[in-house]
Amino acid sequence: MSANIRPSGVFDVRYEQDISLNRTRGDKLLSSGLFLLLLLLPLLTVQGPFGVNLLPQLWIGTIIRIAIFAIAVQGLNILIGYTGQISLGHAAFMAVGAYSSAIFVRELGMSFWVALPLAAVFTGVVGLIFGLPSLRVKGFYLAMASLAAQFIIPWLLRYPLEPLTNGSRPLEVPVPALFGISFAHENAMYYIIIPLAVFMMLAARNIIRTRVGRAFISIRDNDLAAELLGINVFAYKLQAFFLSALYAGVAGALMAFESNSISRDSFLLDRSVELLAMLVIGGAGYPLGPLFGVGFVNLLTQNVIPSLIPPLNDVLPRLLPFINPVNIFAALSPLLFGLALVIFLIAAPRGLAHRWEIFKISWKIRPYAN
Amino acid sequence: MATLTSTFTQHRRMLTRAAALAAVVLLILWLAPILGGQRSYRLVQSLVTGLLVGGIYALIALGIVIINKASGVFNFAHGWLMLLGGLLFFSFFSTANVSPAAAVGLPLIAGAMVFSTNGWRSLAARRSLIGVGGVTLVGAALLLLPGNDWQFIRAIAGAVIGGVLVGMVVERFAIRPLIGQPLFAMVLMTLAASELLHGVTQLTWGSVEIPLQVFTGLPNLGIPAQIRFGEDLFERAVNIRADLLVAFLLALAAFAIFVAFFQFTSAGLSMRATAENQKLAQSVGLRVRTILAIAWAIAALLATAAGVLQGGASSLSLNMPFLALRAFPAVLLGGLESVGGALVGGIVIGLVQEMSNLLFPGTEAGTELAPYLVLMVVLVIRPDGLFGQKRIERI
Repeated sequence: MSANIRPSGVFDVRYEQDISLNRTRGDKLLSSGLFLLLLLLPLLTVQGPFGVNLLPQLWIGTIIRIAIFAIAVQGLNILIGYTGQISLGHAAFMAVGAYSSAIFVRELGMSFWVALPLAAVFTGVVGLIFGLPSLRVKGFYLAMASLAAQFIIPWLLRYPLEPLTNGSRPLEVPVPALFGISFAHENAMYYIIIPLAVFMMLAARNIIRTRVGRAFISIRDNDLAAELLGINVFAYKLQAFFLSALYAGVAGALMAFESNSISRDSFLLDRSVELLAMLVIGGAGYPLGPLFGVGFVNLLTQNVIPSLIPPLNDVLPRLLPFINPVNIFAALSPLLFGLALVIFLIAAPRGLAHRWEIFKISWKIRPYAN
Repeated sequence: MATLTSTFTQHRRMLTRAAALAAVVLLILWLAPILGGQRSYRLVQSLVTGLLVGGIYALIALGIVIINKASGVFNFAHGWLMLLGGLLFFSFFSTANVSPAAAVGLPLIAGAMVFSTNGWRSLAARRSLIGVGGVTLVGAALLLLPGNDWQFIRAIAGAVIGGVLVGMVVERFAIRPLIGQPLFAMVLMTLAASELLHGVTQLTWGSVEIPLQVFTGLPNLGIPAQIRFGEDLFERAVNIRADLLVAFLLALAAFAIFVAFFQFTSAGLSMRATAENQKLAQSVGLRVRTILAIAWAIAALLATAAGVLQGGASSLSLNMPFLALRAFPAVLLGGLESVGGALVGGIVIGLVQEMSNLLFPGTEAGTELAPYLVLMVVLVIRPDGLFGQKRIERI
C-alpha cells in the first residue's frame, strides 16, 4: 500500500500520527483544499448567488449524481469488497431507503433531517433480514438470496404497499427545509449531499480500520480461519449486511429528495448490475474504488456514448446492412457497458483504484519506478 | 449482538426447523380459505397450465445445470441466450431469401469456433480445415433453402448454428480467461455477457415483441387449437392450449435427448467425468477445454430450444431474460448438480407460478414473487435442494 511509502525524512513519532488518515501536512492541505473547492463549485454557476458563468450548471447535477451513487457503491464495497459476500439486490435496498424516507415525510409528517437517518436504519434492518440466509449458505447461494430480495422488495412496493408508495406511478417527495430555508434548488441540495457523501466515505474508510473492519477482511480472506481465531463470523456478516444496506438507504433517500420524485423502475435488477459493475470497475476492496467506478461509468454513459452515436449512426448501417439505425441509440449503452465490464474483469480485475495505487507508488519513488 | 447471534448459532437447527414449521402452518391457514373459495375447474385449469409451463422451465433449468456442472459457473446470461436463439430462429424463419454472405459467414465462423476449442492453433490441422469446410458447406446449403416450404429446416439450421456459435463465443472470450478467478468475478462476467447479448439483440432486432408463428400450422396437422376435457366432472370444461401442450412435449423430448446424450454417448461420459473432477479427467487424457466449450454449446442449444418454444407459446420479448431468472429457483429446488432435479424443480415452479396467479389475480404474484419466495424457503431450509449433492461445508 502506498500509505507505507512516505517522503524521506517523514516519520511517525506519535500514535495520532500513525493512525491519522492524512499522514503528512501536504496530504492534509490537499484533502481539505479539495473539500473546500468542492463546496465552492455551486457558487461559480449561473444560478449561484453571484451569477457568474464560470462553471456549467450541468456539472452540479453530475457531481450530485456521482456522490449519491458513490455512497451506494461504498455500501456494496463494504459487503463485497471487504466482507466477500455477493449481493445482487443492492438497488432494492436503495428503493427501501428512498420509499421509506419519502413515506416518513409524507405520512408521518417528519422533517427530512429525522427521516433520513431513520430511513437509513430501517433499510439496514431490512438488509439484516435478507442477510439471515448467510447463516446457512455462502457464495453463490447467498447471491441467489439477494436476487430474491431484488424481486421481492419491488413487488412489495408495487402491490401490497400501493396506498403508501403509489404503486408503479412516481411518488412525489416534498422539498427538505431547514429554519425556513428551502432546499428546492439543486445548488442547495448540493450542500446537503456533498458533505454527507464525504462523511460517509470517510466513515467507511475508518470502519475498515477498526476491529469490525479487520473482522470483515478476515472473513473475506478465509472464513474458517476467521472463526478459528474467535471471530463470530455470523455476527460480523450480519453487521456487514446492515452497514451495506444502511449506505444504500442513505443513497436512496438522497436520490428521492434530490429529484423530488421516485419511481420504482429506477431500482430494478439492471440498477443492481450497474452498481456491481461500478464497484468492479472502480476496484472492490479499495476505499476510493466506488468513487473511481462511479466516475468512470458516469463518464461512459453521459459523455462517451452520446458522442459516439452520431458517427456510429453514419457508419454502422453501411457496414452491417441488417442494422436499423433507430436501434443504435438503445443498444449502445448495454453494449459498451458490457464491453467495459468484460475488459476490466479480464485485464484489470482489481479495478481503477488498484491502478491509482500503482501510479501513486511509482510517482513517490520516482525516478526509481520502472 | 454477539451473544444473541451465538445462541442463534448454537440452536440453529432447532430454530430453523421451528421457523419452517410455523411458516408452513401459517401458509396453510392463510391459503386454505382462498383455495377453498376457488371453482374446481379453475384449479384444474391452473394445475394443467402450470405443468405445461413447467416443462419449459425444466428445459431452461437443464441448461443452467449443465453449465454449472461442467464449469462451476452460474449462467445469468441464459435468458439472453434464449432470446437471441429465438430471434435467430425468427429471422431465418421469416426471411425467404437469406443473403449469401450471411449464409456462408455464419456456419464458417461457427465451424471455426467448433474446431478450435482446444486453441486457435488446432485450426491449422488438416482435419480441422476439412471439418470447417464441411460445416460451412452443409450449413450454407441449409440456410440458402429458398421460399416458405423449407422455412422450418432453414430456421432450425440457423438457430442451431447461431446458438452453438454464441455459446462458444461466450465461453471462449468471457469465461475461459477467468478460470481460477473468484466466484464473484464469474457471476459478474455472466452479467456482463448478458449486457453484451442485450446490446446485440437490441442492435439487430430492436425492442421486440414478436409472437413466433411456429405453432400456427397445428390445425393443419389435425390438432385443434384448444383441447377441452372434463365437462362432466366440473361445472365448466378445462382448456388445454395445443401450442402450450406441443411446446411442453417438445421440451420434454429435448430434455430426454440431452439426458440420453449424457448417459449413453462417450462424449456425454467424458462430460460427466469432467464435471466430477476436472484434474482427474485431464489426467486420463480428456480435453477439458474442448469439453467445457461443448458444454456451453449444448447449454446454448438448450436455451435456443427453450427460446423458440417459449416464443411460440407466447412471444419473443425482453421479458424472456426474466423468465430464465425464474428458472434459478427451479435449479436450486432440484439441486444444483441434479439433471432429474431440474425437471422436478421446473415443474414445481411452473405449478407454483400458475397457482399464485390464480389465487392472487392482477398482482403478478406468480411471475414476480412466488418463485423467489420458493427460492428463499429452499435456501433457508434445504440449500442443497431436493436431489443435490450434500456439500459438507462449514460456514
